[in-house]
Amino acid sequence: MKRVGVFVCHCGTNIGAVVDCPQVAEKAMDFPGVVYSVDYKYMCSEPGQEMIKKAVQEHRLDRVVVASCSPRMHERTFQRCVEGAGLNSYFVEMANIREHCSWVHAGEPEKATEKAMDLVKMAVAKVVKNKPLQKATIPVTDRALVIGGGIAGIQAALDIANAGHVVDIVEKEPSIGGKMAQIDKTFPTLDCSACILTPKMVEAASHPNINLLTYSEVEKVEGFVGNFDVTIKKKARSVNMDVCTGCGLCMEKCPKKVDSEFELKMSKRRAIYTPFPQAIPNKPVIDRENCTYFNTGKCGICSKVCPAGAVDYTQEDEYLTRRYGAIVVAIGFELFDYSVIGEYGYGKYPDVITGLHFERLVNASGPTLGKIKRPSDHKEPKNVVFIKCVGSRDPAKGKSYCSKACCMYTAKHATLVREKIKDSNIYIFYMDVRTPGKGYDEFYNRTREQYGANYIRGRVSKIYQQGERLIVRGEDTLLGRPVEIEADLVVLATAMVAQPGAGQLAQKLGIGYDKDHFYTEAHPKLAPVETHTQGVYLAGACQGPKDIPESVAQASAAAAKVCGLLSKREMLTEPIVSEVNESICAGCGMCVAICPYKAIELKTISERIQGQTVERQVASVNGGLCQGCGACTVACRSAALNLKHFTDQQILAEVNALCL
Amino acid sequence: MEDLTLVLRRTAKEILEKGEAQMVIGWEKGAFWYSSTSAFISKPEDTERLIWDEYCVNNLAKYLLDYRHKEGKVAVFVKGCDSRALNVLLQDKQLKREKILIIGLACPGMKDEVEARKLGRGSSIPLYKKCRECRYPNALNYDFFIGEDKVIKEIPAQDDFSEVQALESLSPDEKYNKFVANYERCLRCYACRNICPACNCRECIFDRTASGWSSKANNVSENMFFALTRALHVAGRCVGCGECERACPVNIPIMLLNKKIIQDINALFGEYEAGTDVTAKLPLGGFEFTDPEEFM
Repeated sequence: MKRVGVFVCHCGTNIGAVVDCPQVAEKAMDFPGVVYSVDYKYMCSEPGQEMIKKAVQEHRLDRVVVASCSPRMHERTFQRCVEGAGLNSYFVEMANIREHCSWVHAGEPEKATEKAMDLVKMAVAKVVKNKPLQKATIPVTDRALVIGGGIAGIQAALDIANAGHVVDIVEKEPSIGGKMAQIDKTFPTLDCSACILTPKMVEAASHPNINLLTYSEVEKVEGFVGNFDVTIKKKARSVNMDVCTGCGLCMEKCPKKVDSEFELKMSKRRAIYTPFPQAIPNKPVIDRENCTYFNTGKCGICSKVCPAGAVDYTQEDEYLTRRYGAIVVAIGFELFDYSVIGEYGYGKYPDVITGLHFERLVNASGPTLGKIKRPSDHKEPKNVVFIKCVGSRDPAKGKSYCSKACCMYTAKHATLVREKIKDSNIYIFYMDVRTPGKGYDEFYNRTREQYGANYIRGRVSKIYQQGERLIVRGEDTLLGRPVEIEADLVVLATAMVAQPGAGQLAQKLGIGYDKDHFYTEAHPKLAPVETHTQGVYLAGACQGPKDIPESVAQASAAAAKVCGLLSKREMLTEPIVSEVNESICAGCGMCVAICPYKAIELKTISERIQGQTVERQVASVNGGLCQGCGACTVACRSAALNLKHFTDQQILAEVNALCL
Repeated sequence: MEDLTLVLRRTAKEILEKGEAQMVIGWEKGAFWYSSTSAFISKPEDTERLIWDEYCVNNLAKYLLDYRHKEGKVAVFVKGCDSRALNVLLQDKQLKREKILIIGLACPGMKDEVEARKLGRGSSIPLYKKCRECRYPNALNYDFFIGEDKVIKEIPAQDDFSEVQALESLSPDEKYNKFVANYERCLRCYACRNICPACNCRECIFDRTASGWSSKANNVSENMFFALTRALHVAGRCVGCGECERACPVNIPIMLLNKKIIQDINALFGEYEAGTDVTAKLPLGGFEFTDPEEFM
């Protein structure tokens, strides 16, 4: 018979104020196997843990149940504690009487106490069936992959590289830099975005530990923490990077003009191009879709003018597979497509633009060389209307969340307009003004007080063209009256949304994402840069809307996690993985197809059947890849698969404890 | 069908004589005029026992499992339903295609043994209900075909789910009572499982009481657990051959539950007809990047 000790935690008043903990502890003595039971104010505290260790010694306990909070919170704590007392760390089981009980049944203390007893009873039944499990070690590859070369990706790569590890940055565009490269000034200090970004880009490009893989995408991810085998597709640039000197002659001479994506179609680039003058690497690519040579076979001017002979029309997409110990995902965000919203004219008025368009219009290297001119007739606007929360905080037509950065960048835009056009009038329609951040509220107040921006609390119901101007109709909800403004330019603060390919990438990496396709962190408070897939970390706006300082901070946090992982040659693996009972497995392969982590394959075994040696196939689990999700165990009809630590027998013991 | 019997015998004889297969699985006449039973022929002279008549209802596909580890090939005659069952066994990786010689047949539908016994010889015997509803009478996957590969039976435009819909229209209590009434007479003889081509586990979970999932006790609760578990275990792989229902000694309408699940799979995962395409992915047996599980 096992000797089980039960330790009931009050969690201060979190549990103790609702559940009668001493009574639960007393009742626990009745459960089969329990030889010791006690309650205490904070089980996770130093004296609490000492109490457990002492009880294990004194009462010769070989199994421990801690009735307290969620195992997500303190399972590791108590595993270490029983380990310290000489038990296998999987001989401790937690009964969650906080999240599952006291917090949700605060109004019914008696029933909550009863439920707590049931939860303890189940945990006791399970812990008796627990088997000792051992962690294994796997080698760690000392190389990191950063997906996305925006500010978050660059920062993460620099931090990892400076700690002495080799990093590859994969960027789908021809240059690193991301959205920050398109931005003019940064709030609240109004320093030039490019001036603070480009030194980092240069540093990344010239760092001995960093390899840039621009114009490349992640094709396939296999393997597991410490040993991810990633296949990267290097799209054909049609320019030999080793030979090209970046002189730019080809871009000057190329006769084909195409809308520039970097300038948001407000100016032209050539078919052979770099996205912007400070691009890194500053070597062009040929946009094959629009190149005359690739479409008709004629032209070839770039090839003729190139003094280095770098243009290579025969280049093909290249695939390379490398092994990485850790991955940082930093693919950033995209902007909400406001053309779905009728109130703002479905995108049909040229002078209704997004904040990012405005950044380009006000930027000295932008299409208007920094003079604010409206797109339709290139006149200087006098009345500029800003509309905030376009697609944000709008569950009906857009996203339910707040995009966080818009209040500040709209205030920044307002000051920039007032600085450049002295006789301009600014009107800002808002729902709320949210400015938590160092120096943020001061900046907002300056925008109103010094720069005279008119903040109107209310929504815009309609924008329509009248002559040369746009009529913006809305409501001032503070004054309770309709407003109508004749505007020359309307700037929409569109919501930050996930990158269009975010879902697919998540599935390749085996990480979670929410309903809006933002990546899910392992714990919102205590593991904000980790994902549920070990070895994959998050940085920047792909995890949720963020401004630059936050993205940079998160990138450094992710880098710290990566360095922690890569600084060791070996790491311990979680032993909670599936195992196959080969004598029962029929080799149908259902589990192989159903495993989201590609952790199961069929292998051939030989055995004696009906007096002869035959070969047959059975499932085989790769313990390094298996994440212990249990999908295979329910797919297996004959229950040949079992998840260690959550076996059928262990779970049925809990069910029986509750129901029989 | 008389003529085809001769072709069938000749084919089987040739196969065995040439050594193309070590055994031929077909049908022979049973104890009564209204029963034909499965036959396992391994000598050329025994092929005279083979017949092809309107009582060859037995699904032969599953017998192949008994011979999968034998050396050489096994030849098998298949109707539409046998053929679909064979495809499921191939999809489940229980058989090696290269070890089987499949001889396809066109099935006119089989006559109902129970009705035949009641009505007597010479009277007009109706087809099995499953045969009247059958939409794939002809073999779908074969090495060669006997007779002409043409439709010799009237084919309904779509599957008949009227009984499922009648069941769905009942109140929860009525449904439950009906369910209890059906399964309280279950003997747990497992004939339905033993005959089912989709039940091809190496060791059935219901034979492993130590696993803790079910006991051997014969009571309504355990019976219903068995019925529901089996229905879900064959979900997406049930070819609708109806052999479970035919084998049931206490006439439980087992196919009602199977058809309900087929209908639900069609609605939830897109139209799928088990066993009609051996290369198809099982609707409930895979993880796709496009799975609409946003929480994963």
